[in-house]
Amino acid sequence: MQPCKIGVYVCQCGTNIAKVVDCEDVVAFAATLPHVVLSKTYKYMCSNPGQDMIVQDIQSHGLDRVVVAACSPRMHERTFRNALQVAGLNPYFFEMANIREHCSWVHEDHVAATEKAKALVRGAVFRVARHEALERKTVDMCPEVLVLGGGVSGLTAALDIAEAGYRVRLVERQGALGGNLARIDLTAPYLNAARDLLTERITRVTENERIDVLLHSRLVNLEGFIGNYRATVETRDADNPPRKTEFLVGNVIVATGYQEFDAGRITHYGYGKLPNVVTSFEFEQMLRQGRVQMDDGRLPRFVSIVHCVGSRSQEFHGYCSRVCCMTALKYAHEVRSAIPGCRVSDIYIDMHAFGKGHEDFYRRSSEVKTLFLMYRKGDRPVIRKAQPSDGCDMLIEVNEQLSGETIEIPSDLVVLMVGMEARSDAHEVARLVNISQDKEGWFIESHPKLDPVATTTDGIYIAGTCAAPKDIPDTVAQARASAARILAKVARGKIEVDAVYAEVDEARCSGCRICNDLCPYSAIEFDLEKKVSRVISAVCKACGACGSACPSGAIKARHFTDAQIFAQIEGVLR
Amino acid sequence: MAIRVNPLLIDDLERYGAEDVQKCYHCGNCSAVCPHTDETFVFPRRSMRLLQMGLERKIEGSLEPWLCYYCGQCSTQCPRDAEPGETMMSLRRWLTSRYDFTGISRLFYRSPKAEVLAMVALGLVVGVGLVAWGLGNGGDIRVYDGERAFLKSHHVHVFDWGMAAVLVGLLGTNAARMWWFIMYRDKESRVPWWLYVKHVLLLPYHFFTQKRYAECGERKPWLLHLALMLSYVTMLVLIMFFLGHMQSDTWHWQAHLPGYLATLGLLGATAWMMRGRLKKITPLHRHSHESDWVFLVQLFVVAFTGILQHVLHRTGQPLAGNVVYVVHMMAAVPMLVLEVPFSKWAHLVYRPLAMYFAAMRREVLRAKVPAPLPAGARRVQAA
Repeated sequence: MQPCKIGVYVCQCGTNIAKVVDCEDVVAFAATLPHVVLSKTYKYMCSNPGQDMIVQDIQSHGLDRVVVAACSPRMHERTFRNALQVAGLNPYFFEMANIREHCSWVHEDHVAATEKAKALVRGAVFRVARHEALERKTVDMCPEVLVLGGGVSGLTAALDIAEAGYRVRLVERQGALGGNLARIDLTAPYLNAARDLLTERITRVTENERIDVLLHSRLVNLEGFIGNYRATVETRDADNPPRKTEFLVGNVIVATGYQEFDAGRITHYGYGKLPNVVTSFEFEQMLRQGRVQMDDGRLPRFVSIVHCVGSRSQEFHGYCSRVCCMTALKYAHEVRSAIPGCRVSDIYIDMHAFGKGHEDFYRRSSEVKTLFLMYRKGDRPVIRKAQPSDGCDMLIEVNEQLSGETIEIPSDLVVLMVGMEARSDAHEVARLVNISQDKEGWFIESHPKLDPVATTTDGIYIAGTCAAPKDIPDTVAQARASAARILAKVARGKIEVDAVYAEVDEARCSGCRICNDLCPYSAIEFDLEKKVSRVISAVCKACGACGSACPSGAIKARHFTDAQIFAQIEGVLR
Repeated sequence: MAIRVNPLLIDDLERYGAEDVQKCYHCGNCSAVCPHTDETFVFPRRSMRLLQMGLERKIEGSLEPWLCYYCGQCSTQCPRDAEPGETMMSLRRWLTSRYDFTGISRLFYRSPKAEVLAMVALGLVVGVGLVAWGLGNGGDIRVYDGERAFLKSHHVHVFDWGMAAVLVGLLGTNAARMWWFIMYRDKESRVPWWLYVKHVLLLPYHFFTQKRYAECGERKPWLLHLALMLSYVTMLVLIMFFLGHMQSDTWHWQAHLPGYLATLGLLGATAWMMRGRLKKITPLHRHSHESDWVFLVQLFVVAFTGILQHVLHRTGQPLAGNVVYVVHMMAAVPMLVLEVPFSKWAHLVYRPLAMYFAAMRREVLRAKVPAPLPAGARRVQAA
C-alpha cells in the first residue's frame, strides 16, 4: 500500500445526523487516523458548496482519497464520485460511510452513536487507502429492437422506434396482431371502438418497412447484454415445420400482456353450470356481434354485472385489475342502447373511477338508471337459478352495504368482470430475458415510481399489462416511454459500463461452473474450448455472489477485493 | 330471508314526480344537512336507497317521507343533483296512493287528465243536481234567502254532513291502512298498546301547530302553511256548524268575522303559494307535480266563489249570487269528495299520524339501545 492523502468529510445532514452524532468529535477522531491529512464537517455535504469544498481541497491540499460520512451511497455516491472527477481524481478513490441510515436514524444514545460513527469512518478510511483507479468501459449499441407481443403496447412501441428510423422485430405468438384489445368492443369512457384504435396501428405497423412482424412466433433464446443481444425466435405456422430465426438486437421491449382470470374457479358464481352466466370477454364478443341475448335467443330483461371476479380477494388476487369498473359502466351504456327496456345492476365492492373522464362516466352511467349495489370484500354474492314464478332466470343474493339489507336481484344474464392476471407462461419469458416476477407473476420494474419501464437487466424494458393491470392510456404511455428510453440510448451510439464488476483469473479457474448457475444476472458464460468461466462485464451487477462462492478463489470482484473488505472490517472493529 | 329488488319501481315513481333518483351515490350529505333527521329516522339517504332498489314493502312501512317538510337543503347540497327533497315529496304521493285502497289516488297521481276529468264530471253532476233540487223544492233562482230561497241553508247543511260522512269514512280507512303498513304488518314494527295512549295528545298538537315544519329552518313557509291550514279548518267548522248564520240576511259577527279572516287567509296563502311555484323561488317550488297545481287552483277557486256569492248576496244581487253559489258547490264538492281523501289534501291526516307513530317508534328503539356511557368509559364484553 503506497502512501496516500485522505480527506474525511462528516456531513450533518441539517440536523438528521448532527442531532444524534457529535460530528465535531467524529472530525477530531478522523484527524488521528493514518493517512488522513484533513477532516471537516459541514451542514450539507451534498450541496453545491459542500461539493466545491471537496474539489478545492483536492486541488489545494493534494488529496488523493476522499471519505464522506453521510447518508446511504444509494443516495449520493454518484454525486461525490462526480465531484472527484471534476477535481481530476479517479472517481473510485472515494468511499462513503453511512452514518445516517445506519446510525443517527436508528440510534438514540448520542455517545454510543458517535462511537459507531467513528468506527464506520475508520472502516471507510482503511478501505479507501486500498482503492484502485478503475476505468469505465464503453460498448457498441446495436440500434435494432426486439418487441415481444403484438398488442396495443407492442404495436405502439414498435411504431415509435421504427418511425425514429430504427429496425424493429415484432414477435407475436398468435396468428394476428392486436392482442387482448382485439377482443374488446367499445372502450371506456368515451365509447370509441377498440377496433378503430387497433386497425390504424396494425395498418401502420404492417406497412412500415422497418418493422418485421413475426406471427406464430416466440422467443426461445436470448444471449448477450445491453446493446448486444442475440435473439433466437421460433416460428410455427400451421403448415410449415418450425423454423428458427437468429438476429442481433440492442434492446428488448417485453409487452406480452395479461390473461383473464378463470371464472370457473369461483364456484358460487355458477360459471360453466348456469347457462347465462358469462365472463366479460364472452360478453364483449356478444357486443361485437351485436347480439346481446340469452342462450335460447331471448332478450334479457335484467342484466347483472358482478365486479371484482378474481380481483381484490384473499383467495385469488389481492390487487385491483383497474379496468373492470369502467368496463362494467360501459356495459350499462351498451346494454341500455341495445335493449332499451333492459335494467342493469352493477354489483360492486368499490367503484374505482380514478382516470381522466371516469368520474363523469360514472355519473352518466347512473343517469341511464344503472342500479349500483355494493357488497363487502370477501362477502361474495351468490348466484342461483330462479323458480318459474320469479319472473326471471336467476337470482343473485347479496348483503347490500348501502342499505344494510340482504337482497336478491332478478337477473336473466350475469356478466362476471374477470380480472387480469399474469400470463401462465410469464415465467418462461422472465427466464429468457432475465427479469424478475413479483408474487402475483407480474414483471418487476427497476423502480415502481421513478423507473417504471426499465428492469434490473439493462436493455430489457417492460410495457403495458405484463407488468401490472392497467388501462389503454397507461399501457400506451408505457410503450412510448420504453421506446423513448431505448431511442435515447441508441442515439448515443455507445454505452458506458460501470467499472465495478467481477473478473475471472483464467489461470486459477478450474472450470467447475459453480458460478455459472449461481449468477442471478446470467452474466457468466463458459468457454468450452478453454474450459474456463468468463464474466460478461456489461451484464455483471457486481453483487459478489460468484466471488464468494468460487472454490479456487479465481474470481475477483473489482472494487470489492479481499484486501479492501478486510481492511474495512478491521477498521470498523478495531 | 332476502328481499327481492325491483329495479322497475323507480319508473313508477317517476310518474309521481321523482327524477334523477339513480344519480344518488350515497355520500350522505343530504342526511347530514337535514334538520329533521335523528338517530332513529335517518333520511333522506335511506329513503333514496330503498327507492333505488325498489323495496316496496320497506317503503310502505317507512315513516320518513312524512317526517320531511321539504326545506330543500338536501337538494341544494346534493353533489349529484339527485334531488332528494323531491324524491321525498314523490314518495309522499306514492304512499298516499298506497294507503288508498280504492285505486283512485293512484289513478289521479299517475294521470292528471283523469283527475281533472273526474272533477269536471262530478262538478257537472253537482251543478245539474243542485239546480234540479233547488227548482224541484219550490225554490226561485232569483231568491237567495228565506222560504223561497233557491238553495236553502238547512238543505245544504244536510248535504254537507252527508259529504263529511263519506269523507271521514274514506280518510279513516286510508289512515287505518297507513297504521297497518307502518305499525302492524311486520311483527318487529309493533309497539305496546299503552304507548298509543301515552302519545295521543301529539295528534292534536301537531295538527294545530305544525311545529315540526317550523323546525325546518326558515319560519316563513311554516307561517304561510299554518295560516292556510287554520283558515281552512276555521271555514270547515263555520260551514259544518254555522251555515245558517253564514247564509242568513242578518249579520252574525261571531260567524262572519272569522269567516272573512279565513277567506282572506285562504285567498292570500294560495295566491302566495301559486306565485312561489310560478317563480320557482325555493327548491320546494322548483318541481311542481300536476297534483300540486290542482290543489292550489281548486282551493283558490272554492274560496273565491265562496266569498263572491256572499258579496253578491249582500249587495242585492240574489240571481248572480245563486248562480255563483252553484259554481262554488261545483268546485267544493269534488274537492271534498275526490281531492281530500285521495290526493295531496290527505296529508292533513297523515302528517300528524306520522308524528304520533314516530314518537312511539322512537321510544321503543331508544329503550333497546344501551344508554350512552360517560366520556372515557368502555363497555366490557361479557365473556
